[in-house]
Amino acid sequence: MANRGGAAQRPNSQTQGKICQFKLVLLGESAVGKSSLVLRFVKGQFHEYQESTIGAAFLTQTVCLEDTTVKFEIWDTAGQERYHSLAPMYYRGAQAAIIVYDITNMDSFGRAKVWVKELQRQASPNIVIALAGNKADLANSRAVECDEAQAYADENGLLFMETSAKTAKNVNEIFLAIAKKLPKNEQVSGAGSANQGRRLVESDSSAKTAGNCCK
Amino acid sequence: MAKSSFSKVDEYGFERGDDFNYEAYEEFMSEYLPVLARRSRKWARLMINPNSLKRGPLVKRYMRKGVPAEHRAEVWLWASGATQLREKMGPNLYRELLNETHDNEVVSSIRVDLPRTFPDNIFFNQSDQCEQRNQLFRVLCAYAHHNKRVGYCQGLNYIAGLLLLVTKSEENSFWLLKILVEQILPDYYGPTMEGVVVDIDVLGELVRLKAPAIHRQVSDLGLPWPVVTTKWFICLFAEVLPVETVLRIWDCLFYEGSKIIFRVCLTLIKNQTNSLLTCEDFGSLASAFKSLSNDSSTLHCHLFMKNIFQVPGPLPTSTIIRLREKISQERHKS
Repeated sequence: MANRGGAAQRPNSQTQGKICQFKLVLLGESAVGKSSLVLRFVKGQFHEYQESTIGAAFLTQTVCLEDTTVKFEIWDTAGQERYHSLAPMYYRGAQAAIIVYDITNMDSFGRAKVWVKELQRQASPNIVIALAGNKADLANSRAVECDEAQAYADENGLLFMETSAKTAKNVNEIFLAIAKKLPKNEQVSGAGSANQGRRLVESDSSAKTAGNCCK
Repeated sequence: MAKSSFSKVDEYGFERGDDFNYEAYEEFMSEYLPVLARRSRKWARLMINPNSLKRGPLVKRYMRKGVPAEHRAEVWLWASGATQLREKMGPNLYRELLNETHDNEVVSSIRVDLPRTFPDNIFFNQSDQCEQRNQLFRVLCAYAHHNKRVGYCQGLNYIAGLLLLVTKSEENSFWLLKILVEQILPDYYGPTMEGVVVDIDVLGELVRLKAPAIHRQVSDLGLPWPVVTTKWFICLFAEVLPVETVLRIWDCLFYEGSKIIFRVCLTLIKNQTNSLLTCEDFGSLASAFKSLSNDSSTLHCHLFMKNIFQVPGPLPTSTIIRLREKISQERHKS
């Protein structure tokens, strides 16, 4: 399913207004706040009781870096264990993943580690993985220490932040950190099939974001 | 905008959001109310003696044209065979299940989903202790305990929730849930959700046969069918289509079986041929699929239900069975 965008891979004569598009998948145990993080990031909203996600949901959002607009294709997945058999379809070809756990729930942290292992083994080798300890607003009921998660993230080369979809703490920040870490130059050459599944769309597509998209 | 005579909450308790299109709804209801009145009169005659209900062309046509709300629970129980099953298994089964000790892990996963089930419905979102939420909890726990292989699968909360809204009886909801999961649908909710995975491939194959241009478009743009359709199968269109449309689909599902799901999927897809074919990239195609369930053609449930028996063309049960077997075998070979 390479080159599904069908965008022309022309030599990159001009880097300004460059738009990179990346596939990002959210994984993690049920009810840790995956959909809430996406809703906060994409729409700036929060619902105390977010409906449980069945299957997967797809949304897009852009962030701006200095000379690049990064457009995320966000795949939000169902968390229940038995939906696991569908998960590879969602993380296949993903360039980034946010693995979410709930800081008040130790089991969800254990589950997050299992996801990290699975991605390291099965997903694209250069995938950028971020670990999000969500529900940081509930620090009174904390079950997972921040230091412990940080140490785990360091050992495994993951980005790490404690987030709160409710208060918006670190939500934009974690997506921004991922955007910064994603390689944005190597695919310019368009040479070979090494960058399968990754597209560089020059400013001709979805052009509304080409100029000033930072809000 | 013209002042609407419709309230902010629909007859099933769902709150109408800020973006609810009252004008379109009013237009639809002005056509649909006479239909409802006519169906209600016809069913009233049939239901004078419910014991005389018999499977056959007349009742099949009646089911397809919609069961009036006042008879829906009773007719579903009859059409699905739930009534007979209850007699066979003992009328006390549900109560007995409630009294047994349930698995803690399963119970807590159900509990987590309670406030996340229909948060936009006044019967479910009022407080932690609202009666419908407690009923939903009991139905799901009893069923998980009864069928330990399935246990609790996310999605069953929406199905049981909608059954409760229609039947207003947790016991009837339990029996209808049981018959859906165990007899009407293939293994959708088991530990690997094998039945859903197979049926999604069956649908892909049917689209290839019946709407080849759309099939090509979807595979060219690299959109896997499960991404769009998993929820259609698991929730049986609850939380996907307007509630009245969902109940009209379930009228046929309980009478005719799971083939109806494919008819609905194919109609949804074929109705939007133009908008799907004009998409140029993966993202816009995914969005087009998401919005096809909000299209006004799905609100007009009476016409939509007529269409599901015409738009997809012939769809013999034998075809579905053959495709299911073939796909299932291929999966186990690889």
